[in-house]
Amino acid sequence: MTEEAVLFGARQSLAGIVTEPAIAGGARVTKAVILLNAGIVHRVGPGRIYVKIARALAAMGFVVLRFDFSGLGDSAVRHDHLGFDKSAVVEAQEAMDYLYATKGIEHFLFLGGCSGALASFETACCDPRVLGVILINFQTADSENEEVSPDLPTRNVAHYYWKYALFDSKSWRNLLTGETDYGQVIRVLWFELKRRLKFKKREQRRPTRFEACLRSLTVRGVQVVFVCSDGDPRLQDLRECGGLTLKQLCTKGDVALDVIRGADHTFSSVCDQERLLQVICRRINAMRRDAGSRSDAATYSDETSSCQFLQSSSVMQAGTNSAQGGDL
Amino acid sequence: MSSAQKTLLFYFRSSDKPLFGCYHEPSASRLRSCGILICQPIGHEYVNSHRALRHLAARLAEAGFPVLRFDYYGCGDSSGDSEDVSVAQWLKDISAAIVELRRRSGLFPICTVGLRLGATLATLAAEQRGDVESMVLWDPVVEGEKYFDELLLLEKEMLRFRPKRRNQQSDARKEVLGFPWSQGFITEVKDINLGIIAQGFAKNLLLLRSHSDGSANDSQDYLDRLATRVEHCCLQAPEVWLPTADGSLLVPAQVLQAVVSWNSEIHS
Repeated sequence: MTEEAVLFGARQSLAGIVTEPAIAGGARVTKAVILLNAGIVHRVGPGRIYVKIARALAAMGFVVLRFDFSGLGDSAVRHDHLGFDKSAVVEAQEAMDYLYATKGIEHFLFLGGCSGALASFETACCDPRVLGVILINFQTADSENEEVSPDLPTRNVAHYYWKYALFDSKSWRNLLTGETDYGQVIRVLWFELKRRLKFKKREQRRPTRFEACLRSLTVRGVQVVFVCSDGDPRLQDLRECGGLTLKQLCTKGDVALDVIRGADHTFSSVCDQERLLQVICRRINAMRRDAGSRSDAATYSDETSSCQFLQSSSVMQAGTNSAQGGDL
Repeated sequence: MSSAQKTLLFYFRSSDKPLFGCYHEPSASRLRSCGILICQPIGHEYVNSHRALRHLAARLAEAGFPVLRFDYYGCGDSSGDSEDVSVAQWLKDISAAIVELRRRSGLFPICTVGLRLGATLATLAAEQRGDVESMVLWDPVVEGEKYFDELLLLEKEMLRFRPKRRNQQSDARKEVLGFPWSQGFITEVKDINLGIIAQGFAKNLLLLRSHSDGSANDSQDYLDRLATRVEHCCLQAPEVWLPTADGSLLVPAQVLQAVVSWNSEIHS
């Protein structure tokens, strides 16, 4: 495996690292994986997870490019006032152009966390060179989801209360013995109540652009895999934004949704990083094996079935995290 | 960063444990007589401060200094895994980076600018080598033991509203805020104490503090003895290496300006 630092793009100002497999006999690699920034963290990713992913995929025979969007990491800022939603797609396409020009690669898989997942999705929607996407803790577009997540830090706490603290004896003990910030609990619960009421009103809505795009991707045969942490409220956002369409496509096996139990938004535990890596390698391998079919048992899993799925995989034997000893 | 500036990305020391480097060519209008090596912090502090240090490098280059940023072995884009690192390896990395900076810039005098543990490592490397002209220590880690305790406290706070982990720490490695380190490395870091290293091995030193507290004053005396000429600068600036509530990455303009001004004055 080799790693090379590169500059590419229209102004040679996008900084990236190409990780290549060591292939004997000059065999040609035909597909590449491109990793898009998770939020504003530069190309190494949170906890250096992108470096680990790139090396693992290179060991599987892929060329991997992880790069910084303009203004992030070591890439220069743009001066054309193009909004991030558009520039991200343009730059993702420049990354494909670069790998075609330098390696002759014509087909691509995209992978990204958080806003990088959204950028991967948008790129797949408008570029036929993209064969598959792995969308980690997908961030639904703000325009469609404005009402759902205006205040993420508060949502994170609310999600924690609902998913973990509610079922944790230590949290209840803290609540009953006065060791809890009651003001915060009330604020968070009020916030969550309002949010849920708003969502109820939206339930009769028209299908979102996201649902339409998702359908169009599956019609094109693009393989779509969502990987979500169940400790991240974005999983709920995804289900709300994806609505019936997401559920139907998962049931048909056109889209997959893997839920990693006990993980948080940035996979801040090494154990969760390892589980994420295993899921990615398995899914990418399946995409390579059969780009046309959905033989890799795409699923729409709730936490319970996801847990069974994760535990059935040999790599998940490190164990899932649990909500023990939580603070309230 | 000025779009006219030239930045080169590359790997160096290619035959053995390659390191990632980013070289900022100096502005042609005013060439200075000293190259500047930026020594980054580690783990989550590296990720959080990457943006600030990149801006610092750009500003220094604009002021006429050739600047090299690099990642230690097992960190960032460099080869290796964090579980395989050691302090001794990182001191070798700093030496390799000094050689690379001299080769690219053609300048012999070197100033190191280190943040947090990067400042500490730069100090240890300078003591070992004895050929570093000047140093900027930006909120250096003075006592490794205390530094590690602070990391564990921060981790506890960070994970307060996140799913709790099962205890999966092994004897061989310990995980801190998403980065696994070997127990041997942690012991090495805990043993670091800048108070007991040799004195007077650099000509100039700038000690930068993002805030003043008692512990800073305690360490001031022995840091004062590291160089012939020592200047202190305490600015009420954000601690760029810490995570922020909204996930933003901070760039403290006043700190960057202080580093550029001090270097410009020393190495006119």
